[in-house]
Amino acid sequence: MDDTPSQTGLSPADRGARILVVDDQPSSRALIGSLLKAEGYSRLAYAGDGVAAMDWLAENEADMIILDIRMPRMDGFEVCRAVRGRLGRTMPILVQTGVQEADSRVEAFRAGASDIVAKPVNAGELVSRVRLHLERRQMIHRLQRYQDRMEDELRAAQSMQLDLLPGPADIDAIVRPRGGSLTAFYRASHMLGGDLWQVFPVDETRFGIFMVDLSGHGVSAAINAFRVHMITAGLSAERHDPAQWLAALNRRLAPILPVEHFATAFYAVIDPGAGRLHYAAAGAPPPLLLRADGSWEALCGGGLILGCLADAAYETHAMDLSPGDRLFAYSDALCEDFEQPDRSLDAGEIAEAVQAEAGGGEAFADRLIARLFGRADPDFRDDLTFLLVGMTPS
Amino acid sequence: MEYRSEFSGDPLVVEIQGVLTFDDHERFRELAAAVADSEAATVVLDLSGLTMIDSAGIGMLIMTNDRVVKRGKTLRLRGVQGQVAKVVELSRIEQLIPVD
Repeated sequence: MDDTPSQTGLSPADRGARILVVDDQPSSRALIGSLLKAEGYSRLAYAGDGVAAMDWLAENEADMIILDIRMPRMDGFEVCRAVRGRLGRTMPILVQTGVQEADSRVEAFRAGASDIVAKPVNAGELVSRVRLHLERRQMIHRLQRYQDRMEDELRAAQSMQLDLLPGPADIDAIVRPRGGSLTAFYRASHMLGGDLWQVFPVDETRFGIFMVDLSGHGVSAAINAFRVHMITAGLSAERHDPAQWLAALNRRLAPILPVEHFATAFYAVIDPGAGRLHYAAAGAPPPLLLRADGSWEALCGGGLILGCLADAAYETHAMDLSPGDRLFAYSDALCEDFEQPDRSLDAGEIAEAVQAEAGGGEAFADRLIARLFGRADPDFRDDLTFLLVGMTPS
Repeated sequence: MEYRSEFSGDPLVVEIQGVLTFDDHERFRELAAAVADSEAATVVLDLSGLTMIDSAGIGMLIMTNDRVVKRGKTLRLRGVQGQVAKVVELSRIEQLIPVD
């Protein structure tokens, strides 16, 4: 945009502003018009009362309205209210009131006036206020455009991030043929998030599941989630070995994550046919093993958080699985309530809720959320992910 | 989050109270700079008054440790309890920062 000041000090954008002057006295309209023209404003329109003003506004766009109060048919207060109703809060309305009319000033502001100028008009005051309000309007528009563009970009990034997550086709191709089932829930708290989960084929009988929670929320956490996604694609040699797999991921993350950023993670290799689970964790909320007989146990979530120490070592744990057992892994947003710490959930409460809802077929995730949060669509303070992996009974 | 310290003596002890989350980022950065600049060879963060910590809070402890260690000093944590103790244990922070 060309913002070079002209001889009158107005930018081209200002000179192009469209100003509607509403006054029932032809001499007043002419006076205001000539003051504005002398200042460089050339796109002026006139109306002789409120009805004419509203008719003009129905057909045309204005950047500002200069408004008299006492007019036949429809007065200035009514015009203010009508403009606010129709055009919103950002349209500048400059109301002229007589010096004696103290009550009208208050009423004009109540009706929606942006500002007031004294009548009879003082030339310097009028043009100063016009310029001020046009500048404000331009700033608001610029911010609005910026916000719209950021929202568009965030939406595009959000859809890219959702594309990172496995879909039903991946689950059908990897998990089902190996005798498992998988239900997942993912929700970012600020459009973009730092949670990620993945499934990998290990060999003919085994598959791997991975859940990671990058510290922080929003854009920076999401960028780190993309980095993790790129790294894990290269870790195929370690896929069968959870401890080695996490160690390799950690080794690659340590040099690139800023000092106060890290990730918590859980990686499991599951062999439903042989009934074996091997897993390793790095500071993850302890996943739950829900037994077919209704009992449950918490797995070990401990392990140095990823990205802090390049040569950190991790430990692989082994568990036996039976047909009908389920593995439930979740990010800490499911259990931690920072607004009401007393309402944070312990493993037993989560296990009980998952056991109660897991057998119910469709819409497990929705029912679990409704049960744990007391409503269907809670505001998540943090990114939330959970996975339910089932071993198909043979 | 609130903190209290005489900012003197060695070890220099800072008592941290309340809930440590992302919202405390700026104040904690100031605190990290203050303890890193202090004369003390050992800085102790007493977390016995801290009731909850989130991942950003853990990040702040790691950042403080990084600053203190870069100045040739030692950071220690003590008094962890409740949810804070669970998170500290789960994340194996003691591999980075000594926990008393």
